[in-house]
Amino acid sequence: MSTPEGVTIVKTGEKGHFGGEILTVNFGPHHPSTHGVLRLIVDLDGEMIRGIKPVIGYLHTGIEKQMEALRWQQGVVVTDRHDYLSPPINNLAYALAVERLMGVEVPPRADALRVIMSELTRLSSHLVWMGTSGLELGAMSMLMYCFRERDTILDMNEEISGFRMHTSYIRPGGVFADATPRFLEMLDKFIGEMPGHIDEYEDLLTMNPIWRARTIGIGRLSPEDAKVLGATGPMLRGSGVAWDLRKTMPYSGYENYDFEVATSNDCDCYGRYLVRIREMREAVKILRQALDRLPDGPVNVDDRKMLPPPREELETSMEAVIHHFKLFTEGYSVPAGDVYVAVESGRGENGCYIVSDGTHKPRRVKFRAASFANLQALERMALNHMVADMIAIIGTADTVLGDVDR
Amino acid sequence: MISDQLIIDRGVSAGDEWITVPAESVHEALAALRSDGYRLLTFLTCVDHLADHSREWPFRFEIVYQLRNLETREQLRVRTFIDGDPPRIDSVHDLFPPANWDERETYDLFGVVFNDHPDLSRILMPDDWVGHPLRRDYPVGGETVEFSEEHERWQTAPDEA
Repeated sequence: MSTPEGVTIVKTGEKGHFGGEILTVNFGPHHPSTHGVLRLIVDLDGEMIRGIKPVIGYLHTGIEKQMEALRWQQGVVVTDRHDYLSPPINNLAYALAVERLMGVEVPPRADALRVIMSELTRLSSHLVWMGTSGLELGAMSMLMYCFRERDTILDMNEEISGFRMHTSYIRPGGVFADATPRFLEMLDKFIGEMPGHIDEYEDLLTMNPIWRARTIGIGRLSPEDAKVLGATGPMLRGSGVAWDLRKTMPYSGYENYDFEVATSNDCDCYGRYLVRIREMREAVKILRQALDRLPDGPVNVDDRKMLPPPREELETSMEAVIHHFKLFTEGYSVPAGDVYVAVESGRGENGCYIVSDGTHKPRRVKFRAASFANLQALERMALNHMVADMIAIIGTADTVLGDVDR
Repeated sequence: MISDQLIIDRGVSAGDEWITVPAESVHEALAALRSDGYRLLTFLTCVDHLADHSREWPFRFEIVYQLRNLETREQLRVRTFIDGDPPRIDSVHDLFPPANWDERETYDLFGVVFNDHPDLSRILMPDDWVGHPLRRDYPVGGETVEFSEEHERWQTAPDEA
């Protein structure tokens, strides 16, 4: 990567611009502000950052290797766990990829439920981001406010899927189960309350002098740099590029919803914050539309070779018993081929590249992690800033280390 | 413009367009595609086709480049096949900055060596790790379970345990 203009790279032991020597220090991996276990090797000139090298891999769990050893329907459980702040969106990327290979279309109600779960997840992911970033930059109470609403979302996850965090709700062929009436009630109440809560966050942060001083003009990333470096999500939109996969390459019926792509021309940490706030408002808008227009009908494809038959059928049909047995012993096979599907998560482009060799297990599953690409832009953003600003920059890049290391 | 001589094969897989280029001219082909407007490398990875009899493969390792044109929203997958011990291919980090880490990851997990890469070192696995875990001949669960007193029992087949 080329160095930004006006920056001279200096090595350890060389004389810095402030009279002292350049000092190379280790930051992390167990530093609370690194959002996981990120280690940074930083060259410091006084308190100025002159070089930064991220060292990753502390959270590597071999998810891609595990996927190769699991059957297609088992893999969903593993996809939950790489970007652990947005499991349903990870599920969605995987499910869409498997469905594309199999040539399967899910029913409209399943699509709508997928959109609902994706937007709830986007909200909860942005809430965690805002809470923790506020905490790091001195707005302690943000964490309490954000986690209050996040808990409501987790309650809804529990109601619809039985799990609070790793829902495995979206699966190839549809979703785990239909939404319960109680879930729809909770969602309706949540949509009614959420805009007020977002106003509350804005009251606390948008004009907060400390928050503004810590974020405005910090971590600038030009639109051109953001595009070339492969940054996606709020990082790209915070640099003024209106690229959102939900609009530019729609999936799951996002083209039928009326919402706007939030962008900001600030190109700095504050711009990314504004983008996320606006995205939360848009997410509530999408949720309202999805709930009002929720179509009736089945939530799974009617394909006995892919999904197990309903419980009642097992008592009357021998065919159903055979299908049930085959699915839970061997699983289904996916036609040979490869496919890449990308969806927009809270962090950016969350993609899933699958190669099938026609058997009941994938040959290769590659997750294109948004955080992995976004973290590469860190050097470009953090050079010539103070150490304390680096915290703001890592914070607003919103990297999830589980996603980076997979 | 990418010249047709560089394209060995082209096709569509599950709606995704792809082309195959020879491994020795991958840098030239990607440079041409970049000037055609495919400015973003979404990801780069490797697929190990060891003992895959579903289709005919020229070589064991397939390197995949997923490109995107942000203006026209077109996507293109560039595939190339390599072999050897270790398999070698030219780095494209000078064309696409995101390739830097992706190539390190591919080196780490598949043992593919990228010529002219500025810092080809392990990125996800520890620096002293032996082997390349995502190769198909690297067993799942083959490593010892650290800190477990019972790790020998974990490694044994169920009927012996």
